[in-house]
Amino acid sequence: MKVNIYLNKRVAVIGAGLTLFRRRLLETPQEIAWEAARKALDEAGLELRDIDCVVIGSAPDAFDGVHMKGEYLSHGSGGIRKPVSRVFVGGATGVMTAIAGWYHVASGLCQRVLAVAEEKMSPSRPHPQAIFKYIWDPILEKPLNPNLIWIFAMEMHRYMATYGIKKEDIALVSVKNKRNALNNPYAQLGANITVEDVLKSEVLVWPVQLLDVSPVSDGAAAIVLASEDVARRYTDTPVWVEGVGWTLDNTEWPARDLAYARYVEFAARMAYKMAGIERPNKEIDVVEPYDPFDYKELHHLEALQLAKRGEAPKLLKEGVFDIDGDIPSSPSGGLLGVGNPIAAAGLMKVVSIYWQLKGTAGKMQVKKPVHTGLAQAWGDLMQAGTVIVMRN
Amino acid sequence: MSWEKIGKEGSLLRWYDVMEADKYEYTVGPAGEQFFNGLKEGKIIGSKCPKCGKIYVPARLYCEDCFVKIDSYVEINKDEAYVDSYTIIYRDDEGNKLDIPVYIALIRFPNTKGGILCYAEGNVRIGGKVKITSFQWPLRVKVE
Repeated sequence: MKVNIYLNKRVAVIGAGLTLFRRRLLETPQEIAWEAARKALDEAGLELRDIDCVVIGSAPDAFDGVHMKGEYLSHGSGGIRKPVSRVFVGGATGVMTAIAGWYHVASGLCQRVLAVAEEKMSPSRPHPQAIFKYIWDPILEKPLNPNLIWIFAMEMHRYMATYGIKKEDIALVSVKNKRNALNNPYAQLGANITVEDVLKSEVLVWPVQLLDVSPVSDGAAAIVLASEDVARRYTDTPVWVEGVGWTLDNTEWPARDLAYARYVEFAARMAYKMAGIERPNKEIDVVEPYDPFDYKELHHLEALQLAKRGEAPKLLKEGVFDIDGDIPSSPSGGLLGVGNPIAAAGLMKVVSIYWQLKGTAGKMQVKKPVHTGLAQAWGDLMQAGTVIVMRN
Repeated sequence: MSWEKIGKEGSLLRWYDVMEADKYEYTVGPAGEQFFNGLKEGKIIGSKCPKCGKIYVPARLYCEDCFVKIDSYVEINKDEAYVDSYTIIYRDDEGNKLDIPVYIALIRFPNTKGGILCYAEGNVRIGGKVKITSFQWPLRVKVE
């Protein structure tokens, strides 16, 4: 392993838990964090007293409407009188939570770590979009009153223009993911829709239409990570974290190539190097790329080196990324189908890959046998990439 | 920065903006509903951990130590409330002197975990016996 990172311990995921992903969940943020954490402990066969430290992931405080959300969530996440840390890199937070849990174990610092990601998007009214207003440069960008959909729209447009991609090709992602979500008991928006439905849905900010976007959701996810010697005591089917990667590109978004997610590529290269993967498109059996918008899944599949630049739509059309395809992508239903409580959505992708590799994904289980899986998230000021590669 | 000290604000090129707050709608959660519905009937509702027997006030959904779900709710004897600590507020948020100082008390109940912050009046003192005079949130209490 040569990525300027030196490991002490091999790390396994031995338990995971999810809450329902829904708009306006009745429970408080702490209560849903607890529910996911409890389920993860139960699956691992551990009690809270066995846990050495807790990592909490939650994207900006403003969504739940409480400041210092790490502290706020700590008793729901099992963090009382334990070393607790919170990570947040916007949308990339969910996978970063798993990575932060991983490095606590990989370094030899802890043996069993509980990593919890939570987000409630629905308290902010009228819409959480308003929360994003102040992530922009206050002088250069803010006077235009931008919101996130603007930026996605510009990125999507550039992506379409660079590679000559049509909207109907991109809409297939939404169709696929919402269909996959029908198999997911936690999902908010499973549906059988058609490309036609996407193209006819309301235009929000051209070329982004309503069915191109993931919904506003509340939810939580949690995993338990353990060092190799410990993991063997608790389970016969540990899923190993083989590679992790995280990158922050220049946060000045107008200075960036909108057609290609370089930050994700760099994170992926780091993870691949660690996992010893040389030909990702041959070696990755199942993938959960971050898909808050439909074109974003294609963007990320390309950056993950699972498709050549501009060719992800073609492979998608050929069925490569279908649940019974060569590289099933978002078999959980992704953010488009399951929902998008930001940090929880990213960790949900890790949980999904973990269940796939463990063989306990139920109706979500992909058709082919799987050995190596990848989950990815992306966010911050749209320049943070986080990647995790796991094997069974 | 040094220029701030010499106060040449007008000569600097700057951009003014207002960061307005958004509206939030918070949910109290299932345990919170038990607690707040209890207040409507003049009751203080706590919840009891099935594993360690600890009673949380206000009621909550899980025990933070045992990490198990709590679904047994108990009425707390409100006559046993006492002042754990209190403070006296002399100025408002903007620094204006208040005509009448405001007393804020942290009240607790014996053998329970947690406490409630409320407006207090009367002979407010630590350990003082508390009578809840209003169940509107935040609670108002009178210390004997």
